[in-house]
Amino acid sequence: MTAEEKQMIEFILRRIRKPSLIIDENTPLVSSGLVDSMALGDLVLTLEDLTHKHIPPGMAKPKDLDTVAKMFATAARVGKPQK
Amino acid sequence: MVRYRNLIEALEAAPGERPFVTFWVNEDEQETVTFAEFRRRARLQAGLLKTHGINAGDRVVAIMPQGIPAMTVFAGAMMLGAAPALIAYPNDKVEPSKYRSGLAGVTANLKAKLVVIDHEFPDDMLSHVSLPDESRLLRAVDGRGPGGDEALSDLKNQALMSPDPTGQADRIAFIQHSAGTTGLQKGVALTHEAVLRQLAHLVGTLMIGGAMIDGTTDRVYSWLPLYHDMGLIACFMLPMVYHIPVVMQSPLDWVMHPETMLQVITEHRCTLAWLPNFAFQFVPRRTRPNRRSQYNLSSVRALINCSEPVRADSMQEFHNAFAASGLKDGVLQSCYAMAENVFAVTQSDIQRSSGPTHIWADGRQFRSSHQVIPVAEGTPGSVPFTSSGGLLSNHEIRIVSESGTLLADGQVGEILVKSDCLFDGYYNRPDLTAKVIVHGWYQTGDLGFTLEGELYVVGRMKDLIIIGGENIYPQDIEEIAASHPAIRDGRVIAMGMYNPDLGTEEIVMVAEVEREESLANALEIEREIRGRVAAGLGVTAGMIFLKPPKWLVKSTAGKAARSTTLEKLQKEHPELNFS
Repeated sequence: MTAEEKQMIEFILRRIRKPSLIIDENTPLVSSGLVDSMALGDLVLTLEDLTHKHIPPGMAKPKDLDTVAKMFATAARVGKPQK
Repeated sequence: MVRYRNLIEALEAAPGERPFVTFWVNEDEQETVTFAEFRRRARLQAGLLKTHGINAGDRVVAIMPQGIPAMTVFAGAMMLGAAPALIAYPNDKVEPSKYRSGLAGVTANLKAKLVVIDHEFPDDMLSHVSLPDESRLLRAVDGRGPGGDEALSDLKNQALMSPDPTGQADRIAFIQHSAGTTGLQKGVALTHEAVLRQLAHLVGTLMIGGAMIDGTTDRVYSWLPLYHDMGLIACFMLPMVYHIPVVMQSPLDWVMHPETMLQVITEHRCTLAWLPNFAFQFVPRRTRPNRRSQYNLSSVRALINCSEPVRADSMQEFHNAFAASGLKDGVLQSCYAMAENVFAVTQSDIQRSSGPTHIWADGRQFRSSHQVIPVAEGTPGSVPFTSSGGLLSNHEIRIVSESGTLLADGQVGEILVKSDCLFDGYYNRPDLTAKVIVHGWYQTGDLGFTLEGELYVVGRMKDLIIIGGENIYPQDIEEIAASHPAIRDGRVIAMGMYNPDLGTEEIVMVAEVEREESLANALEIEREIRGRVAAGLGVTAGMIFLKPPKWLVKSTAGKAARSTTLEKLQKEHPELNFS
């Protein structure tokens, strides 16, 4: 697991206010209901911060953010340099 | 004044070269259609529907993602005199069996001839679609998808559909399904004349139509779903009938990138938008402070808080965040709306630079006697309220007690509505209609009060828990329970049920645990939750039921569905004595 993935996991645990949960880079987040749709905007913002890339709207769907590993893969695939 | 006999006549009268819908995906991807192009595509859809047997008076269900194709199918059906109904698109989180049964119920109730899905409707979602015998499934074409060109070419060989501008104004224009779980949705049947009257009132109140100072006209911004009254009426029918452009994005794209709302308004100089209360906090909290100055919101003349009880602190947070982005004072406004009245019942005065009226009421009086006694701002224990504004033309409201007694200003009761654009009833459900329309008054089920000619909405009547005469709002209990680390956020429902032994209601709470293993410690968790509720509200949560993840029933809007969850609870716990 990369340092950025660890930071993302820490952010998610803070965001869902469940610091005692154990999740890894492959834990389903959206499909399991652990992360609701209202949290997706926070995930995108944090992903952009950690990757220094802009995720254009329409290029990533909730399923692309279902795990931490998928988030970073999505950023690598569709992310654009930040202005 | 209503200028047209029906909605399609209004569409036909629009200047062809004027932009109508811009669908915004991102900086590099957006599509704008003029009124002429929209009419062309709608006629093609009408032709397609006609070839599949749709005629005047038929019902058509459309399950399509937000966008121009869904809008042209909707308008195309109306061109034939048919009544379209837009249904929420399935997503990964909706249980397939629940969506299937709900959709089957809706199509059967409407006796819909066709269920139209988009050409990209995922195959793995087809299992969500279950149809009664009289309905058929049709994949829409928009000329861009696989096979679309051929399909449209075939259609061109037929006469382009002629709209039906002479259709009867009292014909059902469309059927709107209000929020709630799919299976329980009630189809609100709205006639052309009801919609046109509502729009005329709205346009008058919001002063839409005149040229702006810079010579441009109004331009609506929306991310609201088209199956919701705010999205359908304010952001589709209003622009269509009054010939003003609308810039739209998908609700999902917006929720993943809320800051794009500011980007779209800046790029397109939008002037009007409607938002639910939560968005007034959601957007500023997800827009980095150092980026706010790059947006220009000076074009906006009304951002209207609608569809939830209006909260002053939410609107203040939005204003504080974006005043430096050019957001003018008095732009944030409020209204009270419902599908059963087509849309708005009240609207705050958009010319008042201070925005909607805010008041503070004595908290003890409010809870114990349902009475609003205004107190000074910031008085300890006071409860703040924000006005939803005054009545639109030809609208009346009454506030009544549970026994139907008319209540005076400042007394909290059920809001009844009467207007010249009220719906005739739920489609094919006279039983449900008779329960809510009594002597011409629509019983909204909402709690509110009037003060100095303005309406204040407090919450939903049916959700209110009354224990020993004390009003308890279930949201307060749910928030406390959800703060427990073992409980999933947003997955708690609190209800009041009459306990004949106590002679009053008792709190019944159902909550999902974060992890199923936690159920082994259920007693301890229940004990802690009870302690927190008692500490926070001074009441006892009598019955607590902890359930595994995904147990609660959710509506298509993603909210926990109280009545359906209650039915499920009763099935699992028949020993409970619910009255």
